[in-house]
Amino acid sequence: MKTASHHPAHGLEHIVEHLAHLLPAQGPIGVFIHHNTLHAFQHLPFDEAVQSAARLYGNEPYMTEAAYRRDFDRGRITVGDLDVVLGWEADEPIIPFLLDRRALRRAVLLAPPALDDAAEISWWLAEGGVSSQRRQLFDACRRLFRAPAVNSAAPAHKAATPPAVRAIIDPLMIRLCGAFLDQGVAYWPMPDRQHGFLAAVRTLFETTRAVEPLPGLAAELARQRRHHWTALQTVEEMLRRLDIDVAAQEEFLRDELLALGGWAGMFYRLQEEPYLAPHERVPCSLMEYLAVRLTLVACAPRNEAVEAPAAGAEAAELVMTSALFTAADALGYRISDLEAFSRENRERFQREVLAFHPIERRRVWHVAYEYHHERDVLRPIAERLHKRGRRPVAGTPKAQVFFCIDEREESIRRHLEELDPRVETLGAAGFFGVAMDYAGIDDPHGVSLCPVVVKPQHAIREQPVAEHADLHERRRALRRLWSQFAQGALKSSRTLWLGWISTAILGLFSMFPLLIRILAPRRYGQLMARLNDLFLPEPRTEVTLMRNDEHGHHLSEGLVLGFTVAEKVDRVASVLAPAGLMTRFSRLVVVLGHGSTSLNNPHESAHDCGACGGRRGGPNARLFAAMANHPDVRLALRDRGIMIPADTWFVGGYHDTSSDEVDLYDLEQMPRDHDAELAELRATLDRARAANAHERARRFESADNAHNPKQGLEHVEARAEHLAEPRPEYGHCTNAVCVVGRRELTRGLFLDRRYFLVSYDPATDTQGQYLTRLMSAVGPVCGGISLEYYFSFVDNQRYGCGTKLPHNITGLVGVMDGHSSDLRTGLPLQMVEIHEPVRILFVVETSAEQLALTISSIPFVEEVARNCWVRFAAVDPETSQISILRPWGFELYQPEPGETPRAPSSFQWYAGHRAHLPVAEIEMAGAR
Amino acid sequence: MDSSWMTSDTMRTVLFLTVALPGTGFLLLALSWLVGIQLPEKVVARATGLIYSAAALCVALGAWLIRAAHLPSLHADYGDWFRVGEYAFKFELYFDGVSLPLLGLTTVLTGLVAAFSRTYMHREPGFLRFFLLLHLFGFGATLGFAAGSFDLLVGGWELVGLSSVLLISYFFERQGPVTSALRVFATYRSADVGLLVGIFALHHFRHSAALPALDAHTLDPQQATIVGLLLLLASMGKAAQIPFSGWLPRAMEGPTPSSAIFYGAISVHLGAYLLLRARPLLESSPVALGAVALVGLATALHGVFVGRVCPDAKTSLAYAAVTQLGLIFFEIAMGWTTLALLHILGHSTIRTLQFLRAPSMLHEYHRIHAAAGGHVEGGGLSLEAALPFPLRRRLYWFAVDRAHLDRLLDSVAVRPLSRLSAWLVGIDQKLGGGPPTGPGPQLVAPAMTAAMPEQVDVLHD
Repeated sequence: MKTASHHPAHGLEHIVEHLAHLLPAQGPIGVFIHHNTLHAFQHLPFDEAVQSAARLYGNEPYMTEAAYRRDFDRGRITVGDLDVVLGWEADEPIIPFLLDRRALRRAVLLAPPALDDAAEISWWLAEGGVSSQRRQLFDACRRLFRAPAVNSAAPAHKAATPPAVRAIIDPLMIRLCGAFLDQGVAYWPMPDRQHGFLAAVRTLFETTRAVEPLPGLAAELARQRRHHWTALQTVEEMLRRLDIDVAAQEEFLRDELLALGGWAGMFYRLQEEPYLAPHERVPCSLMEYLAVRLTLVACAPRNEAVEAPAAGAEAAELVMTSALFTAADALGYRISDLEAFSRENRERFQREVLAFHPIERRRVWHVAYEYHHERDVLRPIAERLHKRGRRPVAGTPKAQVFFCIDEREESIRRHLEELDPRVETLGAAGFFGVAMDYAGIDDPHGVSLCPVVVKPQHAIREQPVAEHADLHERRRALRRLWSQFAQGALKSSRTLWLGWISTAILGLFSMFPLLIRILAPRRYGQLMARLNDLFLPEPRTEVTLMRNDEHGHHLSEGLVLGFTVAEKVDRVASVLAPAGLMTRFSRLVVVLGHGSTSLNNPHESAHDCGACGGRRGGPNARLFAAMANHPDVRLALRDRGIMIPADTWFVGGYHDTSSDEVDLYDLEQMPRDHDAELAELRATLDRARAANAHERARRFESADNAHNPKQGLEHVEARAEHLAEPRPEYGHCTNAVCVVGRRELTRGLFLDRRYFLVSYDPATDTQGQYLTRLMSAVGPVCGGISLEYYFSFVDNQRYGCGTKLPHNITGLVGVMDGHSSDLRTGLPLQMVEIHEPVRILFVVETSAEQLALTISSIPFVEEVARNCWVRFAAVDPETSQISILRPWGFELYQPEPGETPRAPSSFQWYAGHRAHLPVAEIEMAGAR
Repeated sequence: MDSSWMTSDTMRTVLFLTVALPGTGFLLLALSWLVGIQLPEKVVARATGLIYSAAALCVALGAWLIRAAHLPSLHADYGDWFRVGEYAFKFELYFDGVSLPLLGLTTVLTGLVAAFSRTYMHREPGFLRFFLLLHLFGFGATLGFAAGSFDLLVGGWELVGLSSVLLISYFFERQGPVTSALRVFATYRSADVGLLVGIFALHHFRHSAALPALDAHTLDPQQATIVGLLLLLASMGKAAQIPFSGWLPRAMEGPTPSSAIFYGAISVHLGAYLLLRARPLLESSPVALGAVALVGLATALHGVFVGRVCPDAKTSLAYAAVTQLGLIFFEIAMGWTTLALLHILGHSTIRTLQFLRAPSMLHEYHRIHAAAGGHVEGGGLSLEAALPFPLRRRLYWFAVDRAHLDRLLDSVAVRPLSRLSAWLVGIDQKLGGGPPTGPGPQLVAPAMTAAMPEQVDVLHD
């Protein structure tokens, strides 16, 4: 059902289209893309955006004031930070020669917080043991300050649907939406849903004697059907029936959409991008959603409205007095001081105090919180630049290992270099320039492995090598068989007759998996892996990579199969050149994609590679290596100044950030004279991943028995296999910074898995074109991750999806709390609990001018930079000056006293600590 | 083997422990909480593991002892709890081929769920509360299964119900769980009337409610019908049979492991167990037997149809459980008690595993889908495909609306009752005084605000 295409410029359509952007943009949960939760507000400056969103949704804009104050108490925010931050804002005298705005704000922030709940204030006055002096001050404040006149004639929210009606229609709506969007959980799909939501709902109640959930619903739907109303017409009619006048329409529709924003958002997402549906493409339309919802609202019985008690003016006055009292008390004023002020001064004082309301205080706290963080980030880098100098690897490294820029790879890179200082690590966005539609031998169809902003043009298919074709066939047949069995097992227990047999007779056998999976999860995983190897051995494969014939464009679904030599050259160069890897190649270059495996985790995909569109990046690494090993490609690369020696071999691989497993691909194709080097590197990698696992384990409260790398590895392996584990890994929980620059800037620094590290060599980038290319991939990915974590942390219950423990997967598209709730979007508590909500700080090794140019050339980056959704600093490669981007322009970083602590090894720095750790210089043998 | 080992005293002690251990666990946790000791998670989890391992061992040992002594069953009297006139409330336990397997199942599954929860509930502010309630449940369930008389069974039955309701409202900072818990509580209370009145009737007719003495000739057919139907009412509530089945999906508000042990495994089967115990009575009443069979069959069909249209993991499992529970009722009515027992055991186990794995549904479907090569055929027999389209549609809505049962209960019970209570409040107020007015859910508000700091601390620490 099309929505009134004969009225192209219809007002309502515009309104709904506009409102749709206020809905959560998360798609089906199987592929989780991190994005700015408040994308709809991105055109506004950050503070304005979070505060208007707070008013609209009723969510928290920042952490609570208590949380900032706790951070203040533990030194995470200092008085100095507050002074700097207050110094950035306009000052103004309040009482001439006595008090100005900065002094007032400083005093209020440093004093105990004002009570802001009327009941609490009354209790405090009555029972709080207040000294008579302070009570007199309080009474004086009450006497001297009058509440400003409030416009009491504010129009009542007449159009809104009363909560009692919501309580009737919301569960019904959830039931209908769930059935409609279902991707194959229910084996009886909603009849007629191929014609759209509205048609399906109308059909449902068509039969004359259907039991109506609401009186008159069937008749209403029949009437709509008779008139052949489109969704748009239905919405219009229902608005008329509900007597909503035009002026109030937008607000009314907004409330109706936001009432179950998660479901409405899913309708809109699938309307815009139907291919996101994992299995069944159902025709979704937000207008139809609205049409159904409004029809229900119109039919819902309206009992006499219950008057909500208006917030008493008295209570408001008490809260105001409390704020004034706290300020006066903090400034050390006595009653006589207050009385001595002229009326005008008193009014100004009152205005200023009230203007520094709780949200405003939290804003200042937050800026100070981030300022402190910025100092902690820049100090060690500045120190490196000025005192110690950079730390390049001496000579040609023994091996080079590319990782994803992901901050979770920071630690394994550090450990690798620490264990063998002659290994160099580099960071590139984890799709390694290879944007493709990929289908492995076990995948039914291709999926995009590239950042979401890119649409792949090339299809890559994995195939068994010729001599393993039989093995592949056998494997495929066995997998088919298994799938039938597994499906039978999954469904049979839910049916009548088969269920009788499977539960009564076979049921007790499930005691075995139950026992092993709960009591020995790691063993279970090993057992399953062994069984897999035994019965489903994997054939050796190759990828349909070669498209040497320019004419052989094989079109599959509008994609070309494979890459030509020229295309391969582009892709290889796009990774190597910006990283500055042009000549000094070692004999072995390993390229590791990443992903994450966990069980019982609907949010599993959120731990996968963001640069691969929320999927696993192993195939990209494998393809990149194959391309870079291609002789023709190498030949063509020479024209671009990239000289890969004949004895250099690229190896693709995959790092699992949850179990810390590292797989290397296609080793049988490697020239045998690299064997010894590979064996050595493999050994170092194994030690590094164990050390990495151990470092990760320090964050897990339940990992107190992981005393050495081996135990650390066992611990994280068990986590990945444990059915009951809500935190298989902490994901991007610690993200805070993104360094775009040479590894020398950060090599040997303990960065606590908090830094995205992008290899970028300004020396090879004379025009700044590499930087632009890097930032246009890195900016949205890192910015999206940072902001999603920010919002899911500051208001986990509303921006995030709350605790995982009661989550219930519905229709394979999302999770609900319990049996019937809105679709929960955002990140769960268990994923964000150790996060520090700072906007990401990009530290870019380039001149301030170049950075400004680059930012302004990428629309997304320009917008988030201008509106302060992310932070920027430039490290000038020539002058070693650091410039920080502030809302009013670049500001030169002023070095501060203090020295970066040093530690002999990462292990010695983090051992015994669970919280975030400051940056430290790790001494590396032979690094200098 | 020393034969003194086989004395009934040893047996009695060992078997007593199967009930006493979970009870002690609950008491210890509750006491330590009351005096303000913050037990670390690890201690709680270890103690729980120990208690349920020991209890499971006691069940096994007890069963072996009884077998070795060639006894068909053991009726252990541990003395009177209290006396009122003629009546003595005996603390008597009864172990036979029905209660022992169920005790074994309860202790093993509760232990496993506790082991699961140790990881799953890690860092939860309510960790201790969860385990406390789990122990209360464990105690209630073992007491219910081991009870030697209906009088004692009620105790276990109610403890299970109480812990069930408290765990549904585990996340009491949100409105949904509290509302659902209240509904479940009301359902339990209404159905439990049957249990209490049934036992009174039993006492009235026979002056005893001890289990072992029950046989087909205890009561005459009319009496058996009355008692049987009352007990059926109680078990229908507990086992989510028609028309009460609507509470089961609502019970999914709690943490996943509690859903598993209560609604996949033990708690719902307690209803079937009651009928299994009342079976000798039912035998002399064809009416009651017929009612059990009818309820069971209707529920099984109901569960199948509703389950077919459920798009979410836990509701789908809930109705799958309802279906099998219906069948178990039917088996009991038909007199296939061994099959019914086996069915309870098998069903509990498989359902526990399925509930615990409910969050991996996405993963599973994806794997099956991929292994099948991209296309998965709908499973099961498509009975509905044989129907003409209009009827099919109606049946679909009937299933989506869960057979309109909630609507039915609302109109015949909930609304008249709330009108009655509003009327009574009105009278009360006219007479002066009376309870404070205001809608019920507001009672929750203080608890909500009290919970907030706890939540916030977790977030921002």
